[in-house]
Order: sequence, then C-alpha cells, then structure tokens
Amino acid sequence: MTDLTKEMQLSEEEFIVNMGPQHPSTHGVLRLLLKMKGEFIEDLIPDVGFLHRSIEKIAENRTYAQFMAFTDRIDYCASMPCNLAWATAVEKLAQIEIPERAQYLRVIMTELNRIASHLIWLGTMSLDLGAFTPFLYAFRERERILDMFEMTCGQRLTYTYMRIGGVSKDVPAEFYQRCKDFTKDFRKKVDDYEAILTYNPIFLSRTKDVAILTIEDGINYGASGPTIRASGHDFDLRKVHPYSSYDKFNFEVPLGKNGDVWDRYIVRIQEMRQCCEIIDQAVEGLPEGPIKAKVPTMFRPKAGEVFARIEAPRGEMGYYIISDGTTKPYRVKIRTGSFSHVQLMRHLCKGWKIADLVAIFGSLDIILPEVDR
Amino acid sequence: MLELTGLLQWIYNIVAGISSSLGLPDIIRDIALMVLIIAAILAFLTVMALFLVWWERKVSAHFQDRLGPMVAGWHGWYQTIADAVKLLQKEDIVVASADRKVHFWAPVIIYTVCLMAYAVIPFGKGLIAADLNIGLLYILAITSFTVISLLMAGWGSNNKFALLGGMRSAAQIVSYEVPLTLSVIGVVLMAGTLSMYSLVEAQGPYFWKWYIWPQLLGFAIYISAATAELNRTPFDLPEAEQELVAGFNIEYSGMKFAMFFLAEFLNMFTISAVATTLFLGGWQPPLPGLDFIPSYIWFLGKSLFLVFVIMWFKWTYPRLRVDHLMDFAWKVLLPLAFLNIIITALGVHLF
Amino acid sequence: MAFVTEFFSGIYNLCLGLKTTLKYLPGRSITIQYPKERMEMFDRFRGVVVLLSNPETGKLNCTACLLCQKACPVGAITIKQAQDKDPITKKRYPEKFEINSLICCYCGLCEESCSFDALKMAQKYEFATTDKDKLIYDMNRLQELGRDVKYVPKKKRALVKPPAKPEKETESAPVNSNDEKPDKPADQEDKQ
Repeated sequence: MTDLTKEMQLSEEEFIVNMGPQHPSTHGVLRLLLKMKGEFIEDLIPDVGFLHRSIEKIAENRTYAQFMAFTDRIDYCASMPCNLAWATAVEKLAQIEIPERAQYLRVIMTELNRIASHLIWLGTMSLDLGAFTPFLYAFRERERILDMFEMTCGQRLTYTYMRIGGVSKDVPAEFYQRCKDFTKDFRKKVDDYEAILTYNPIFLSRTKDVAILTIEDGINYGASGPTIRASGHDFDLRKVHPYSSYDKFNFEVPLGKNGDVWDRYIVRIQEMRQCCEIIDQAVEGLPEGPIKAKVPTMFRPKAGEVFARIEAPRGEMGYYIISDGTTKPYRVKIRTGSFSHVQLMRHLCKGWKIADLVAIFGSLDIILPEVDR
Repeated sequence: MLELTGLLQWIYNIVAGISSSLGLPDIIRDIALMVLIIAAILAFLTVMALFLVWWERKVSAHFQDRLGPMVAGWHGWYQTIADAVKLLQKEDIVVASADRKVHFWAPVIIYTVCLMAYAVIPFGKGLIAADLNIGLLYILAITSFTVISLLMAGWGSNNKFALLGGMRSAAQIVSYEVPLTLSVIGVVLMAGTLSMYSLVEAQGPYFWKWYIWPQLLGFAIYISAATAELNRTPFDLPEAEQELVAGFNIEYSGMKFAMFFLAEFLNMFTISAVATTLFLGGWQPPLPGLDFIPSYIWFLGKSLFLVFVIMWFKWTYPRLRVDHLMDFAWKVLLPLAFLNIIITALGVHLF
Repeated sequence: MAFVTEFFSGIYNLCLGLKTTLKYLPGRSITIQYPKERMEMFDRFRGVVVLLSNPETGKLNCTACLLCQKACPVGAITIKQAQDKDPITKKRYPEKFEINSLICCYCGLCEESCSFDALKMAQKYEFATTDKDKLIYDMNRLQELGRDVKYVPKKKRALVKPPAKPEKETESAPVNSNDEKPDKPADQEDKQ
C-alpha cells in the first residue's frame, strides 16, 4: 500500500480509502485505492493481479488442442467467444478451412453466450445500483441458455466446445425448437428489464451524464466493444473484419450518443436484442455438413506468428501466437477488453462520488479473470 | 359481530370488580387496565415484528421469482423465530474503546420509541390505548426520536465509518421529517382534529369518502417521505454504503443488532398504520355489505397492504444517490407538500 | 412546461416498473428445491469421469492406449500399462488407472479421445467429502462408478481381426487420426 500511495500526494483534507480486494461490487478481486476529498474522488489507482493464474505461461506447455480448456477460464462468463478467439487464431496460423456448418454453430453459440454474459452484466450492475430484482430475472433467463449449452456440449459454464478446425459436438434435435422459443420469449423479457430500469427516473438520475467518455479518449485508452460504441464510434469487428461467416447475417450495431453510463447500458441492452436476430438467422440457415475439419491430433503448425481478434462481449479479444513448429506454442499473448477498461476507471472516476464509482464500474463491464488472466 | 368492544367491557368489569372488592382506589384499577392493554399491544407487536420479517422474505422472494424460506415449517413460517433464537445466543461484542453507555442505550431507545407510537393507534372500533386529542402530533414527535438513537449508535461505536454512516442517516431522516409532517396537515385541515380516533371517524364509512381521494398528493408525499424515514430503498444509500463505508450498525452484534432490525420493521408497520388511519379510513370497511368482517381485521388488512406496497418499492427501484436524496426532499417533496396545503385549505374554505 | 412533462413521465415510468415486478408475484417460481428435488441432467452432461466395463465379461474396456492421458490438459489421469501374458491375444490392459478429480477440469477431452468406449463422463456430480484423498479415484472406484452408466458403443473392435471399414457417422467426425502410434510411452510429453 505504501508504494502506491506515494503516487498520491495527500493534502490536508484528503484521505485514502481502500476499496479492497474482497468487495461485493468490484465483480471479482480488484483493489481500488481512492484519494477522496470529502465525498468526491480526486484520484483512483487500480491494483490488479489478484486473480493471475499465469495462463499465458501455461500455454507454452500445452498443445494447441489442450489449451482450449484453458481459454474457457480467461473469461468464464463468456466462455464461447474465448474458445472462438483461440480457434480462429490457430486456424489463421495453420491456414485451416472450417466447414460452414461449424461456422454457423460457432456463431450461434457465441451469440447465445453474448446474451448470457450481458445478462450477468445487467444483473450485477442493477444489483450495485440497488435494484435487486433484475439480477434474479437475468439469472432466470440464463438458466434457459445454460440448458441449451448443456444439451449440446455437456457443461454450463466452461464449455470447451470448440476445437481447432470446428466444433466438438453437433446440436441435438431438440435444440432448434428450444432456441427458437428462447429468442421469441427473450425479446419480451428484455422489454421487462427495460421497463424496470431504462426510463426509471431514479436510474436516470444515477446514470445520465455521468462519466462521459469521448471517442478520442476511448481510443487512446484502448477501449473497445460496447464501451466505445456507446460514445458513438461505429466499430464492431463482426462488421468491420467479419470472421466465422458473420458477414452472412443481417444485424444492426447499436450506437450511443453521449458516452455516459446510460448509453453504455442501453447499447448492451440493444445488443442483446440484436443477438436474438443473429441467432434466429443462423438457426434458420444452418447448412448441413461436417462439423469439424480434419486436423491431426498432434498438430504442428508452421513456425510463424499470428494475431487474430474477435468481438467478445466485453470488448476485443485477441490472441497473439508465436509458433516454433512444434506441437506447443512458443508464446501466447492474450489481449482482453477488460484489461484496457480498468485504466479507464482512473480517467472516468475523477470528480465523481463513490456512489457514481459503483455505477461507472458496472457500466464498463469489467470482469477480473479477463484482467488478470 | 366479532367486535372486541364486548370483550373489553367484560375485562373492564372484571378488573373494576376486583379492585372495588379489594377496596383499592380508582387509580389502581386504571393502572391495572393500562398494564393489561400494554401487555396485549406488546404481544401483538412482537408477533407482528416476527411476522413482518417472514413476510418481507417471502414477498421479496416471490417478486424475484424464487421461493424464500421453505424449510422451517410450512413455507418457513418459523424461520424468524429460529433466527431470533440464534441471535439471542450470540456473543455480545462491544469494542473496547467504545462509549459503553451510549452504545448500550441506542438500540434500547429506538425500540422503545417504536413501541411508544402504538399508544395512539386505533386498531379497531373502540380499540385504542389512549385517545389523546393530539394523537397525530404525538406520533410525529415520537418518531423523530429515531434520529437521536442513530446518532448514538454512530458515536458509540467509536468507528469513524460508523459515525459517518450514522450522521448521513440522521441527516436523511431529519430532511424527510419536514415533508412528512407537512403532508398530513391536509388531512388535519379536512378533519379539523388531531385525535387519531376522530380522524378515522371524520372519514366517512365507505371508500369513496376516505381521504385518499382528495389527498392523493398528500398520500404520495407521505409514503415517499416515510420510506425515506425508514432508510429503505430507494433511499437506503446510507445503509448500502456498508459495502464501502459502514452503516451505523456495523459494530453491533447479537440481540442489539436484532433490535435495530426489528425496529425498522415495526416502524414500517407504524407508518402503514398511520397512513391507514389518515388516508384509508382506518378500521372502516370499504363497502356497505362488508360489516360482518370485524374492524380490526380491516385495519390489519389495510396496514399490511401498505406494508406490501413499501416492500414492493424496495424490490423494484434502484437507489438514489445521497445528493439526489437531499434534493428530492428539499426541492421536490417540500414544495409539493406546500402546494397540497394551499389547495386543501382553499378547498376546505370554499366547500 | 418541460418540468411538468418530465414529472408525469417519471411517475408513469415508476409505475411501469412496479407493474413489471408485480407480474412475477403470483405463479410458480422456477426454483427447484435441492436436495428434495433434483434437476434432470441432459444426456451429454459432463460429470465425473468413469471407466466403463463390458456388460458380459465385466472387464474394463480400457486398453491402456494412453490417448486420454495425453489429451488431458491438466494431467489428472495417470495410467500404468501392463501386457497380458497370453501369447495369442496379447491384450494390453491398465495396471493402474488413477484420476485426480481434484485437478480434473471436466473438459471432456479425454472422453473424446477414447476410441474404445473405456472412458465416459457420467451424469454424477455429488461427490463432496471431507477427505481430499477420497477424491483421487483409483481403478476400482472408477469401475464401480461406471457400472450403472449406460452407454452406446462407439465402435466395435475385434481382438484378432483387423477392424472393418468404419461406417459413416453423421453425429461427429472422428477426432483421432492415425498419426500417432498408440503405444508411445507416457513421459514423452512433459506434463505437470
């Protein structure tokens, strides 16, 4: 604590509050050092690293197929996109063609997981703001999504569903009807969440015009995903650099106007609706065919390096792989959205109160396993 | 039919008979009666506090699409009793550097004050412990005592965060007392009396004559201000700051903590009881044909409905930030309360 | 004027929120009261790893090919091979098969790598115990756990005759190719 606090020079009226690693509203183990003057936050230093599991180092000792099980744990709330990012990166390195059915299945699973991840975000953000009920409603919807995942791959949180070259299991016959029923019901449920929160005057007073992030600042700090789209920057990797047949689907990218907490909230809510669109189109148009390309078990890509990125629910997720021609990568570097957003906390929270800090933190949708890896 | 006036008359006759046969002066007879009445009210309130805790848990669970306590008895009915027994046997930890006297008396004061307010609440036809002719003023004065208790709790814990939390809660309560008091003035103007029993009788027997219709604004202000008095969501930032800084009751454990907790629920019932008396016609049935249901059942039903509404607010709305809370009290509720008084005064004068 | 419209729209939205929560008040909740009621897991649920046995002979299906040990990303499986003394069948079988379910991450890579129906992830998940040693399952415990697990045989392999041409499977493409010889010693790859 002492070496960090040397950075903060305290004047007479200021004091340091330690929002410690164990805390109900920091969504994980994050330590925030706040320099406070009365109610207002003058400065904030985030202290990360409590959840560091050296995943990147572990990658140097695992084969490409084995590492898939570890990618789940980088962001366990959005496990499918993490799998997808790894698979995309390795396939880009080894120039593997993926069958179309596998691409569509990947899209369906990723979008379902995007909804599930945004539901966790919705629940925890409203819980931090004091509305206890949307949390339970969000988890009730999540149960339906997790049932669909369990039906397909057998797990409810860390799926290890995708493989290098495709996916591991095909969807069973009951999946299609369940998926269609789910998307139909879910649109109404999103209307419910909006009725409780979106135009509620209490919610508006907590979130409107709070912590505005300009596009320029966002890009300078490396913000990505819904955080930067809420400021108005139209950049969605699914549209700009489409991967895994996203160019075949027709969907909108919701944008915000001001970049305040309310915009970041509304962008994610509308993204949930757009995910339903994509899932419906993908399930309708699911082609027949194999679900996995032939890839040898002890797969040795050529020596070289690659960087591949996808649009994860919390921002951009990218993998930089250096391969030396053996079955195990030489170096894997993982770029996650939440890591860049943690530094946004310092920029955004200056001059606001602690109650706003909770709202801002919720709106950035930071999850600590992604930050610390 | 099932009214208690007959029963009360019978008890009075028995006590009067005993006291006169023993040759005791009248005052002893009155004191004996009062003791019986107080015992009855306390018994009722204890059961009500335990019931309300269970009710809150069940209602909140069903709002959130889950079940709540289900294991302790049918649908968990004795869960609160089990929790109370558990809290009773907990160690009473007092911080060594705390101010012991202040620390001890804070929960006592808050609980006593809660109970004192029930002296003037009309539970039914003829069921009022003491029909003071300034009943309403008495209640408003008594409920202001909670501020002292909170400040004592914050100070006595010798913890700077508890003190901050206590002071913040106290500031909130004091700010919301003003619109609370002003919102009931409309009712007093219309009825012309401060006595709780007469306020009920001044409202006509059936629901179209109750004061909620002409005093809708007053009712809304009363419920908002009262929810803020209770430190409940959407006004519970001082309490929720326990996540970061501490609320005033952080240093309390065991039964003392339970006192604060039960006091909050009893206060909730007090607020609903007063609102029922002032706006919803007290113990009167809403429609002519429903006289056979006794008056105290109507009173209980209406109060519990208002308690339900307060709980509904808690489980639906997010929290207000502290400065918005203060803004809401002084810049929104207070002018509206004044507006209500002016309109009511004009209305009473003209009609 | 804007203040008035804002005021009334605020009240309207507050009531909308109340209406939404009231909607869920009556009616059955979705809670399942564990442990009195239990959820039925789907067929593909990945619970604990068990060893399957031949229903007629009662012997393990496992041929100790060590593919699952190689596939496991965390090194939860430890196998020791042994050879049958019979000169004709020369069947290989595992002498020691240990799964450390404390480390197991339930990824299912072992089940996928097995081509002999030896390993399956059963639907059992209630294994809490106070003693950590009980969670390191040896071969007998795994076989015991796997006795009542129903499975559909993936492929049938005869012992002496070479396998017939595999039928086309639409469910899942074959995961293993014949690149790697199955009886490479286990400590070739470094595992933790």
